[in-house]
Amino acid sequence: MTTHDEEMMNCEEFEQAIAADPSFDGGAAHLLQCSSCKAFRAEMRALDQDIGNALRIDVPKLQIPDLPELDSGNVVAMTGRRFSTPTWFAMAATVLVAAVLGVRMFGSSVAYPSLAEEVIAHLDHEQFSLRVSDKPVSDSKLATVVPADVAQMNHSAGLITYARSCTINGNTVPHLVIQGERGPVTILLLPDEKISDAIPLHGENINGVILPVGSGSIAIIGTGDERLEEIEERVVNSVMWST
Amino acid sequence: MNSSNAALERRRRFDELVGVFHQDMYRYAVWLSRDRSIAEDVVQEALLRAWKSLDALREDGAAKHWLLTIVRRENARYFERRRLETVDVDDLTPSQEALLAETQDGKLDDMREAIYELNDDYREPLVLQVLMGYSTGEIAELMGLKQGAVLTRLHRARLKLRDSMQDEVV
Repeated sequence: MTTHDEEMMNCEEFEQAIAADPSFDGGAAHLLQCSSCKAFRAEMRALDQDIGNALRIDVPKLQIPDLPELDSGNVVAMTGRRFSTPTWFAMAATVLVAAVLGVRMFGSSVAYPSLAEEVIAHLDHEQFSLRVSDKPVSDSKLATVVPADVAQMNHSAGLITYARSCTINGNTVPHLVIQGERGPVTILLLPDEKISDAIPLHGENINGVILPVGSGSIAIIGTGDERLEEIEERVVNSVMWST
Repeated sequence: MNSSNAALERRRRFDELVGVFHQDMYRYAVWLSRDRSIAEDVVQEALLRAWKSLDALREDGAAKHWLLTIVRRENARYFERRRLETVDVDDLTPSQEALLAETQDGKLDDMREAIYELNDDYREPLVLQVLMGYSTGEIAELMGLKQGAVLTRLHRARLKLRDSMQDEVV
């Protein structure tokens, strides 16, 4: 519950606190002398009853899907397909999940194993971004995808041929593609994903890493034979978080 | 514990957790997607993902937050794949209409429609607070927002709903 200095609380502050959380039980001194706020609190509490009733929709009977048998280490189900298939990114997830188990995010007690998994799944969904191209995105497009309040980015990372705002773990993040020596290289700027150590992303046809950068991180993923060290250095040096 | 017993124990743990939190998962998915059919798909995908990742859940006390986080991600993935546009309340699919099916309670129907029409940014924290019992700090953590932003959204959401309900009365 939010604490508040009751002597300092005025009507506006009280109404904001109550509308944000009708169970707010501060401001007793203010309520004693303000019938308007007392009425507002009653109104918000009644409204919350109605909101709760409306949200509690009927729920259909639970149907558990067919669950695959999992052997040890097989946390994410994988197929035996060749890496040359369009889903080769997803196949790296077996390695990844084991690598990131225990990564803790947001300071919560819950272990989230899925930052790498989320990155891989996103790339799998957006394979059309992985095209060899010599056509750079415009400065205006880049400025839209990498807004100034998120990061400052110069062109030293390389030829940026793709830029799009995407969603990773619920956050809108810049998804860029630069051209490496061996093909397209994906860059995901993750200003809200703080990690303590680099997370390697290795597979037969995937070569990447999620690097801790300041208060966030940057995912850099190329094809298996891409030499990423130089690209990593260029990318990291080209980005400066704004927050 | 041999592998067979371990597998049985794993399945038992999964069934227990899902049994307890299935309603929350479904309702959260419904109010995220505003579509019963999509919510069912999202929950099915979330259950599969939870099953595969169950060993990552170290404490069952954190299961609700863990499962809702998976639902949230699966919902985002669904819309990322489908690129669905938001729809007007006057132009609904049958499974969207099912969410707003009229009951005997006109006030309840009006509130449901008002919540349905809320912007996603306002509806989600409201669902988490009122339905899931989340604190504003927990909502901020789940949604990747600052707590102040959550408080503002909740405040605006309630005032919008109040205004909508007053409009209905008028």
